[in-house]
Amino acid sequence: MQYDLIVIGMGLSGLMAARTAAETGRKVLIIGKGMGCLTLFSNTIDLLGKIPGTMELRDGLSQWIKDHPDHPYSKVGLNGVEEGIASFSSLFRSPYSFRAIGDRNSFIPTGAGHRRPTYLIPGTMIAGASCNKALIIGFKGFRDFSAGYVAGPLKWRGTTLSVPSLFNREISATALSRWMERESFRETIARDIRKHLKEESCVGLPAILGIHDPIKVKMDLEEKIGVEVFEIPGLPPSLPGMRIFNRVKEWLIGKGVDFLYGYPVSEISVKEKEVKGIDVHHPPASGFHSADRFILATGRFIGGGLTADRGSVSEPLFHLPVAQPGSREEWFGKSFFDEHPIHRAGILTDSSLRPVDQTEKPLFENVWIAGTMLAGHRCIDEISREGIEIATGYMAAKNAMKQ
Amino acid sequence: MNLKTEVLIIGGGATGAGIARDLSLRGIPCLLVEKGDFLSGASGRNHGLFHSGGRYVVADPEAARECIAENRILRKIASRCVEETDGLFISLPEDGLDFRDRFVRACEEAAIPARLLSQDEALSLEPGLNPDLKSAVAVPDGSIDPFELVLENAGDAEAHGATFLLHTEVTSLLLDGDRVKAVVAKDLLRGEEYRIEASYLVNATGAWADRFLRLAGLHIAMALSKGSMLVTNQRVSHRVINRCRPPSDGDIIVPNHTVSILGTTSIRLEEIEHLEITPPEVSLLIREASRMVPAIETTRFIRAYAGVRPLFLSGEEGGDRAISRGFVLIDHEKRDGIRNLITVTGGKLVTYRLMAEKASDLVCQKMGINHPSVTHTKPLPGAGQRAGLKERLKTLGQGEILCDCELVRREEAEEVFREGKLKNPLDILHRTRLAKGTCQGAFCVYRLLGLLNESGKIRGDSNTILKGFLEERWKGIRPVLWGTSVREEELIESIYKGIFNL
Repeated sequence: MQYDLIVIGMGLSGLMAARTAAETGRKVLIIGKGMGCLTLFSNTIDLLGKIPGTMELRDGLSQWIKDHPDHPYSKVGLNGVEEGIASFSSLFRSPYSFRAIGDRNSFIPTGAGHRRPTYLIPGTMIAGASCNKALIIGFKGFRDFSAGYVAGPLKWRGTTLSVPSLFNREISATALSRWMERESFRETIARDIRKHLKEESCVGLPAILGIHDPIKVKMDLEEKIGVEVFEIPGLPPSLPGMRIFNRVKEWLIGKGVDFLYGYPVSEISVKEKEVKGIDVHHPPASGFHSADRFILATGRFIGGGLTADRGSVSEPLFHLPVAQPGSREEWFGKSFFDEHPIHRAGILTDSSLRPVDQTEKPLFENVWIAGTMLAGHRCIDEISREGIEIATGYMAAKNAMKQ
Repeated sequence: MNLKTEVLIIGGGATGAGIARDLSLRGIPCLLVEKGDFLSGASGRNHGLFHSGGRYVVADPEAARECIAENRILRKIASRCVEETDGLFISLPEDGLDFRDRFVRACEEAAIPARLLSQDEALSLEPGLNPDLKSAVAVPDGSIDPFELVLENAGDAEAHGATFLLHTEVTSLLLDGDRVKAVVAKDLLRGEEYRIEASYLVNATGAWADRFLRLAGLHIAMALSKGSMLVTNQRVSHRVINRCRPPSDGDIIVPNHTVSILGTTSIRLEEIEHLEITPPEVSLLIREASRMVPAIETTRFIRAYAGVRPLFLSGEEGGDRAISRGFVLIDHEKRDGIRNLITVTGGKLVTYRLMAEKASDLVCQKMGINHPSVTHTKPLPGAGQRAGLKERLKTLGQGEILCDCELVRREEAEEVFREGKLKNPLDILHRTRLAKGTCQGAFCVYRLLGLLNESGKIRGDSNTILKGFLEERWKGIRPVLWGTSVREEELIESIYKGIFNL
């Protein structure tokens, strides 16, 4: 079968690219070996945390684009970013939906008891942005979230529940979220929480309010406790990221997109300047898949889209040139908290997100790049990861489908 | 605050802790002052090679004889700290066989058991070795855990009446004619100042020996030589691997717990603090070590670190590697006319007990008492227990794990804090295997701080401690960031700068 588009990579950028193409009725295959960074870090949607909360994000973004002509946002354009974000948001209807408070960055509490700026916030987290005094709840055995740690810097109170049904053993975020989906469990913890609650107007929990219907879990807890409840993002894995993945996957499969999850692409087949197809050497999905267009969205080092040996950074699948700092000595600053030059490394593209060579000529007729593997941004320091993924995923597919 | 003791020991490395134990077992009261935590100097920053003496046997037979004698003693008294791996000195084609023949003869003369192995024999013992090797010599090298060793010595000393002031730096010496009357010391974490009167002082500050003596207006000539090491993420050999050639850069691979340590370089320094490992050093170590075990070329590294060898210059100078690894014991009464001060420095980790015994003998001689040392026969408290991962695996499934890489249980950490002696919470990293594995504490230290918050050991903002830890961790990680380590680093940065916005 000849696909209109093959998307390589199943992080947020790949998913958005597949969605954008599928929405126009095209035949799409998406293939990836994992969920990318979605289930690691994506709790909320960061667009550009650098913009102060006093400024409307649109204004800040428009200035940013003027000041950073090589940034992925500049290639996508202000309207493109907004369209992408709108397209993402429209996938999540009530009750589990994303929204921005006053169209600007808001500040939500984190697992280190800091507040961090972010843009689109899921319904389970939004109360954290406005809460002035919360009781933080942890669970004995869930070592990746400490109520005391979180409460300290915020000058709130924290308490750790010892729930008999967990047998006080080590418990993971996913297991805890399954417990949370049981009414009897919620009943038990709500009783405990009510006992500890004093003058607090809300209760903050780790981000484990279930996978399937977190709003139901939240509302039921609120009813049982009597105050508002919110989730606090913490160490990976990110349950909110899994919810995003599950929702987009469900939508894509509903639209007839072929979804090859868990498979790496072994090699690509190229004829002159055109990519013909991909080879997957991985039973039972082994085989050759051909398409008219390809979007590469394999991420940075974590996703495997970029690799580094002792000498240089490279892109292992298409062997695209990678813009990068000189020698290994220059990759990282002397302090952990420096903005490390290696994070600026990435794939150079033209304004339509096609990978280019040194002379800025497109290397392939039918390949586009989406996501954090693009050059020109520093998403960790800019606090722009999901925004870049969504905007470039959306725009790469738009541009590809024009052709 | 005013304190009084019979013997004041300055320095909490293996030598200082060893002296504290030796003296207190002889019934002599002593106080140990250390400006950091135990093992802040070379004792905590070496490759953990449990010398048979082979490494020095050709150039410095006397040091080699000391090594093998102590090697035999420590196997008995410190069995929990020693892993009896054995070691191979391998000859590669470019090394020739002349040195090997001298080596075998010298081992015989120094009574170091040595067995010549053919290429096939060596490869069947260690299949990862360079298949081009000509032959190997097996010697009773091993691996030693300096942290366990020093803490066991300190613990036993304490059980016999010794006391410790950690994170406390001696800032001045008060001289009264031909003796040191008292020292002034400052607690670097809490700011408290002490005036400590002691009948005798032992300078066991290792590489800092000369710097300490300057407080008394004295000076000894030392060569400070930086040795850098790399840690792999798994063992690359079962035995210690040495090149059978005159000791040089990058010719040792030591298995240590779950990892291997590649060493070392030798670079003359003027400064003891803020050691940096340079990319050329990293490249050199990998290039040389991968001649012995080729898989090192592609293996993952989790950390680099450096220590300073305290080498005493006896007069004539050669290269730093030619300077004796034997130790020196200086009676400042004879040398400088200060009656109650002695210095012990130089030496090797494996000879720490002998150094402590000789220094304590000198103290006793000055005191005019005749209590013999018992440390060569009296086992350390942990003796009888075995070292290593196998033991830790037995405790698996018994409660929460705090550190997944090294299987450190929550109870183990709680136990350290229950004793209530840690001035700095992160000193736990020197007392457990916490943060010594592949992620280098990127997850478990956050969890640890959570635990300390829950139990009320820390209040308020833990992020200052967390940030301090991440910076310290960075120093060890930055030199080895490529390959999969870069992936992990992106993950760690995304957590702490991203999710947590520190």
